[in-house]
Amino acid sequence: MVLPKRKSAFPPSAIASGDDPAGEGPDPRDPRDSRAELARADARDGLGRHVGRVVTVTGAASFLGTNLVGLLEEDDRVARIVAIDIKPPATALRKTRFYEVDFTQPTAESRLSEIFAAERTDTLVHLAFLASPSHGLAVAHELESVGTRHVLVAARHARLRKVVMWSQTTLYGADPSNPNFLTEKHPLRATTSEPFFADKIEAEAEVARFAQKVPGAVVTVLRTAPILGPTIHNYVTRYLSRKIVPTMMGFDPLLQFVHEVDAIAALKLAVDRDHPGIFNIVADGVLPLSTVIKLAGRLAVPIPHPLAHTLGAALWLAHMSEAPASFMTHLRFLCVADGEKAKERMGFRPAYTTREAVLDFTSAQRLRDVKLLQETPA
Amino acid sequence: MTTRTKKTSAAKPKRSTLAATTAKPAAKPKPKRARAAAAPASSAPSPSALPETKKEPKRGRRAEALAAEPAVVAQIRELEAQLDKLIDEASRHDVSSLDPEDAETWHGESSSPEPSLPDPTLREPTFPEPFFDAEATLPVAPPSGSWPESRPSSGSIGHGPGAGFGVAHKPSGVAAAPPPPESVFDTARELLSSDFYLRKWGRLAMRGRSEEVDDFGFDPIYDAKIKPVLDFLYTKYFRVETSGISNVPASGRCLLVANHSGTLPLDGVMLKAAVKREGRDLRWLTEDFIYHMPYLGSAMNRLGAVRACQENAERLLAKEQLVAVFPEGVKGIGKLFAERYRLQRFGRGGFIKLCLRMGTPIVPVAVTGAEETNPLLFKIEHLSKALGIPYVPVTPTFPLLGPLGLLPAPTKWTIQFGEPLDLSSHGPAAADDEILVGKLAERVRATIQGMLDRTIGSRKSVFFG
Repeated sequence: MVLPKRKSAFPPSAIASGDDPAGEGPDPRDPRDSRAELARADARDGLGRHVGRVVTVTGAASFLGTNLVGLLEEDDRVARIVAIDIKPPATALRKTRFYEVDFTQPTAESRLSEIFAAERTDTLVHLAFLASPSHGLAVAHELESVGTRHVLVAARHARLRKVVMWSQTTLYGADPSNPNFLTEKHPLRATTSEPFFADKIEAEAEVARFAQKVPGAVVTVLRTAPILGPTIHNYVTRYLSRKIVPTMMGFDPLLQFVHEVDAIAALKLAVDRDHPGIFNIVADGVLPLSTVIKLAGRLAVPIPHPLAHTLGAALWLAHMSEAPASFMTHLRFLCVADGEKAKERMGFRPAYTTREAVLDFTSAQRLRDVKLLQETPA
Repeated sequence: MTTRTKKTSAAKPKRSTLAATTAKPAAKPKPKRARAAAAPASSAPSPSALPETKKEPKRGRRAEALAAEPAVVAQIRELEAQLDKLIDEASRHDVSSLDPEDAETWHGESSSPEPSLPDPTLREPTFPEPFFDAEATLPVAPPSGSWPESRPSSGSIGHGPGAGFGVAHKPSGVAAAPPPPESVFDTARELLSSDFYLRKWGRLAMRGRSEEVDDFGFDPIYDAKIKPVLDFLYTKYFRVETSGISNVPASGRCLLVANHSGTLPLDGVMLKAAVKREGRDLRWLTEDFIYHMPYLGSAMNRLGAVRACQENAERLLAKEQLVAVFPEGVKGIGKLFAERYRLQRFGRGGFIKLCLRMGTPIVPVAVTGAEETNPLLFKIEHLSKALGIPYVPVTPTFPLLGPLGLLPAPTKWTIQFGEPLDLSSHGPAAADDEILVGKLAERVRATIQGMLDRTIGSRKSVFFG
């Protein structure tokens, strides 16, 4: 239903004459990634004039959203960026049009659908997720689980060609029975009693359902490892910027991060080219938690784990910790994802290893510590 | 081609984000600089934790991203050099190295008594100073909290009430005194400042561990640190004798299949030590329950143990590693003393399937002596759920003598490596043939059992071989 219409909109002649806008050839390792596909993404109006793509970014004021909007502003292939959030992104320039939509409102669905249709969006980047656990559980649920449904219903209605969604590898869950490298086929086993995980797992289920219902659409899910870097603020950076970092006594799991630059680059890659499927976006290499803390120049304080759960829950209730007690399994057991698929299929090469990401975060954190660096959190 | 496109896309955000971070502090350098110089040593631990060399690659990469604009590169270099200087000054809080105008700004700001702290107190090599600053590092300071408030309070923790005030005023006389000579006092001052220890701690913190572990958590420096202990166990304690070690190939993937015994999984470590003597690194697969146990799991992991599962084994073999498996699993180490050296069921033949799929030769290994280290009399399995371990062992010594009872008995060990078994003639498709897999597993099991029986038969004493 979707595809025939699209074919008439982009006749083969237009595809043949369409110059490679990026000046970059197709990925030789990926047979499906052809020039034709690139050209199809490169929209033209009825007279064959170059119009460029229209990319909608939800959660545009978030860290990833702001940076992605900034990147897309610089990209000539993108004609228009539609930023959707409750506040405008700081990087919005000429090309960006901002719409204030609150996903927690029941009218969000129809409003989104109107926006998609009015702006003639072809690509949706769905980033409206909380990067850190929140105390506002109801709002978080409405935003992530229900909000994703709203967005996808609207996307189906507006017949969007492509949806890119952000997800996280923490959803695999830390478990002693995990293999050292979790592939994309591994089920998401994070405890669903934790709303932070449950809402995101539901959102992933929604997008999987969407991909099933709309066979023509390109659906990409990028599961990033915890993002670390000089400018990002999330629960991991807050945890590592404590002077005293609580750990679980006797447990020293291997951790994996991804640098913020790599995470943004992966999103851009997914927007630029069509890579349907789920991809783990992770840095190379792993580091034991104790080494991460020492590289960050912090002091680890081991707490016996039977005690830690109660203590952590109390601290979370008192708003004195970064994450609820259910995150403590990540301080005990392994949750490391395999980034091989993203390397092979997307051509994603992380510029920073896990260690370099930690060091880059640390160098910025050092400046913050001596108050040489002050920034307003994104 | 693809690498190039990837690089540009990766470099772009780097420029925007990193330029933002570097440019911000430079925007208002003067007051910052003064404040930085006055910043307490509490900020020192993180700078000191990093040796200077680590920054180099990052800097090079940044420069690469901006190679097109040499002016920008120069500017960034300059800013970075300036920042490095500032951090260094801040961590040493050495006001004297500042420009006179900066010092003036700083004095102009000093409406509160605290800013008069750093210079004179540092000049004076006093003992309380290290404690003072060490204390200051401990409280979790709120990120927005300015240090002058936190400093006197933390000082009072160290010295009792009023001490912070006293320190602030005492130096007024000392400040008039000429700065101490560079030579001896300089070293003494450095030794006595808390910063010295924090820097030292920063370096020591990484002692005994690598900055990078391999994908499965093996840490070469930790391994080297533990090696003397393992060597002692290997040569003096268990007096391990090996035979047929030439059956282990010097390179390429290979799977060692061994019997599992002893209440503590020591055989993996000894097998590793034996192979290490031949110059090969061994990764061995361990049961899940190890990872439930504090300390044991992470220590084993740093030494090269990997959780036993098909994915991990495949990944290791694909990297042409030498891998040891104990197909008996928990059943093997949980054998009662009465069943010693009777091999248990070899799982579901997963290791055979693995070898068929990966085209890996199998070397059967028989470990004798390990069964008697902690002879298992009973198993208590009621508590297994609560403790996260499969059973609570009861040995002649264990619950009786407390944790000491888990010390292994100094039995004489022998490790025999059998003839390699080449499965490549069957082809990878044979992995689906359950009957064949069962037969091959049984063949390996029988080989090991035969090797065990022969050694046990010729052995005269458990302790002297």
